[in-house]
Amino acid sequence: MYGSQREESLSEVRLRRTEEMETERDLIDLCQYAVMMGQKMGANAIEVQSQANSALDADVELGQVSSVNKRVGTEFAIRLYYGKRMGCAFTNIPTRDALDETVKLAVSAARATTEDKDWLALPEPGKHKAIKGLWQESVTKCEPSWVVDLLSDAVSRAKAAEEGLMPAFGSAGVQVTLRACVNSGGVAVSEKGTLGFLVLVGVAQTESVTTPMIDSYDVQRSLQVDVPRIVDDIASMIHLCKNTSKGRTGKHTVILHPNAYSQLLRYTLLESVRGDNVARGKSKIADKIGDRIASDILTIYDDGTTPRGVNTTVADDEGVPRQRTSLIEKGILRSFLWDTYWANRKGVKSTGNARRNMRQGLVDIATTNLVVSPGKREISDIISEIKHGYLIRDVQGAHSANPESGDFSVVGNPAILIEDGRMVGAAHGLMVAGNIYSLLGSAVEVAKTPKYLAGTIGPEIVFRDVDVIAKE
Amino acid sequence: MFDILDKALEVGRDLGATYVELRGETGFIEYIQMDDLRVNALTQRIERGVAIRVLMDGAWGFVSTGNMDALDQAVRDAFTMARAAAKTRSDPIQLAETKPHEDTIDIKVKRDPRQVPIEEKIKYMRDLTKVVQDFDRRMVAVTVKVRTASGTKYLVTSDGTRIQSRDLLVWVYPWVTAKEGTRLSAARYEDASTHEGWEYMDRVATPEAIGLAAAKRAKLQLEGVAAKAGSFPCILGPRVIGVLAHEALGHLSEADLTTNSAFNGKLNQVVASEGVYMTDDGTMPGYLGTSRYDDEGTPSSRVAIIKDSVLTELLTNREYAAKTGLRPTGNARAESYLYPPIIRMRNTYFERGDAEPDDMFESIDFGYYCADFRGGQAQTNASFQVGLQEVYEIVNGKLGRPVTDLSISGIATDSLMKIEMISKKEFPFELGRCGKGQEAFVSSGGPDVRFAKGGITFGGKT
Repeated sequence: MYGSQREESLSEVRLRRTEEMETERDLIDLCQYAVMMGQKMGANAIEVQSQANSALDADVELGQVSSVNKRVGTEFAIRLYYGKRMGCAFTNIPTRDALDETVKLAVSAARATTEDKDWLALPEPGKHKAIKGLWQESVTKCEPSWVVDLLSDAVSRAKAAEEGLMPAFGSAGVQVTLRACVNSGGVAVSEKGTLGFLVLVGVAQTESVTTPMIDSYDVQRSLQVDVPRIVDDIASMIHLCKNTSKGRTGKHTVILHPNAYSQLLRYTLLESVRGDNVARGKSKIADKIGDRIASDILTIYDDGTTPRGVNTTVADDEGVPRQRTSLIEKGILRSFLWDTYWANRKGVKSTGNARRNMRQGLVDIATTNLVVSPGKREISDIISEIKHGYLIRDVQGAHSANPESGDFSVVGNPAILIEDGRMVGAAHGLMVAGNIYSLLGSAVEVAKTPKYLAGTIGPEIVFRDVDVIAKE
Repeated sequence: MFDILDKALEVGRDLGATYVELRGETGFIEYIQMDDLRVNALTQRIERGVAIRVLMDGAWGFVSTGNMDALDQAVRDAFTMARAAAKTRSDPIQLAETKPHEDTIDIKVKRDPRQVPIEEKIKYMRDLTKVVQDFDRRMVAVTVKVRTASGTKYLVTSDGTRIQSRDLLVWVYPWVTAKEGTRLSAARYEDASTHEGWEYMDRVATPEAIGLAAAKRAKLQLEGVAAKAGSFPCILGPRVIGVLAHEALGHLSEADLTTNSAFNGKLNQVVASEGVYMTDDGTMPGYLGTSRYDDEGTPSSRVAIIKDSVLTELLTNREYAAKTGLRPTGNARAESYLYPPIIRMRNTYFERGDAEPDDMFESIDFGYYCADFRGGQAQTNASFQVGLQEVYEIVNGKLGRPVTDLSISGIATDSLMKIEMISKKEFPFELGRCGKGQEAFVSSGGPDVRFAKGGITFGGKT
């Protein structure tokens, strides 16, 4: 583990100097001011969300630290209603004058648009639970030399860990975020969070092979990122990818690493559990609550409150408390995910899954941290019993899946051939095709140890009789 | 804007920085989303900000800020951060020499998107939605997204470059869901201009043209048959060969990726079948990826990536031009002031060949004609994947039934050698966005290109 924070002041640049920084109170005050202005201008409902972000990171290119970067900004997104007509606006200028102008823009947008007869109300105040560990003061004191040293150390270790391994890209850094959400119905919530992260992307070239780029990362709320794990993860996979294996077309056992299945699920199943898609007829499982849609070994839930989740927050992007929502329990579909608008329309409660694109003003529904319940055996034990199969660590093309039908057709890259219980080498150009619901139904085992990824927490999943197409 | 950028530039010069670059932006940006005729988002914003890059002791410091009153301090921060980055480098970053330019680029716009009333934009989206709904009763959901931008970009560098340019965008994107019984399907379309105002939506990307393009594909997806798995002879049409040019080859030719890719060490070597020419051109008037200068102030250019089957040039910025000894090609692009410029494509295409269009299908007993894509992705080991949304069987040399969801893949370095025929017919460009950590508007295209069996793998049912 890498984590000794340097006490000496190696540079004058801090992540964010005190005089630049709004406090949670400042954000709440400015949001409340904008709400008041909206009401003065005749809005019957108004909501203001604010985010102050400060990020400091270093980049690596071609095995050397190439830059240190700093991004500082405060953003305000406004959504208001004139009767049942909605308008949105955005500003990145944290002053009352700018908010006056922004509210005016939102008002003029609402006046110009059409009425949404189905709109009922903005969220009501909820009970927010404190979540421990989301804020680490040490992160706010981070200096450029710390991110440079962390990244440089990781690069050196990676180069030494495997012959020919080139850390082609990577980044180490910290982020401090303050958030506030206020609405005219009495919601007023603020929170703060910190992140420390390291990501490395490695590649190797031999006389006959260029490996795919392999990435590995760790995201923590503190500065304690796990460098050895990242280096070992990349080095061991690069080592395997240096050996080329021949894939075999047919129905085979496939193990999906959470990197791979999180992508596939994101563009298929997770689109179909969004309440808006359910309500709009875009979900294939809209009428399947209580039905089996996956193998009984699969339990999957969305948890916006787990302290280990990168996307954990106290409130969602319209101020509704985050919660844990069961999606699939032992193969049975249990719930969909909702924001306030669609929950009101369908007569259910928001699950605290509203997501706002600050600059676009779009509020939609998204998962927070997707959690797959672990199984009992380590992945190495599972692999040791497979006669012929593939471990797919990442996929190309998940975004081109059909979210409505659930059909997908992707390239596993890297796809590691398993023969007689051993991982042999990478099968280049190996495709995996099918339908997400058939795939979920063919899951036979979940490994024991979860991987903590951005937005997904889960171990590897083993699927049987998956359509595999090898390159001829 | 130039005044405050110049003042901040002086701070960097006084500190002794090797190179200082400030990119200022100010402008109007708009996003509207309509779901089934309901306006789901309607945001107009005025945004301003500055990106600062300082090269010192052979490393970069980058600061992005919206606070125009603190640019002097931001330059000092970038300078200090560059020095912090530099202490671990064994070889300093250098920049290729380029001629500094002073220029003002305006675009004559008939209908500035900022001045077009919101009501008209909403009507455009309603009309588009209705075109889709009226096309076929099975179109059950329609999402239409519209983005516009109208602003000004400013670039000043310590080398003496001083460029003011117009930042313009009109963009439309429908996503259509079709349903019959329990069968669901979907298709998308996309069109945009970075050189015309709202008149482009009146003239080219009309509700009828865009709505029909999306609806037609959703219908085909609903009625298509399943694809087979394996490798077949195939013809990739202009939209698909374009995305292949972009994904499979263009990214490998971006100099920051080439070093670690399957194209490493292949400059001046044969990488494709005879007669293959592939180009990235940032100078084609009116095309989506075209601009006079890149975001470092280097003039855009025409880059002959593959010339008669030989890998000839790579896309560079000033840093990678110096590293590789190649010329700066003007491909440094940044999405906005929130990002530093990196090497990006512009308008990437296969050039026309000499095959008669009618001969392209000849002697294919069974294969596929791939007409349109949903998305694509590449890896440095030359592995590419393209998800398709409009595909037809070819049976006995003739176009056959439509095929439902499918993707194709291959190893670009192998696939290029399997090109059998390139049509001589003129072709349209596909317009879209590329993601490489940040968004860039690009176009791509090519004529019909025929691949022999073994060139392309089809990810259907085994």
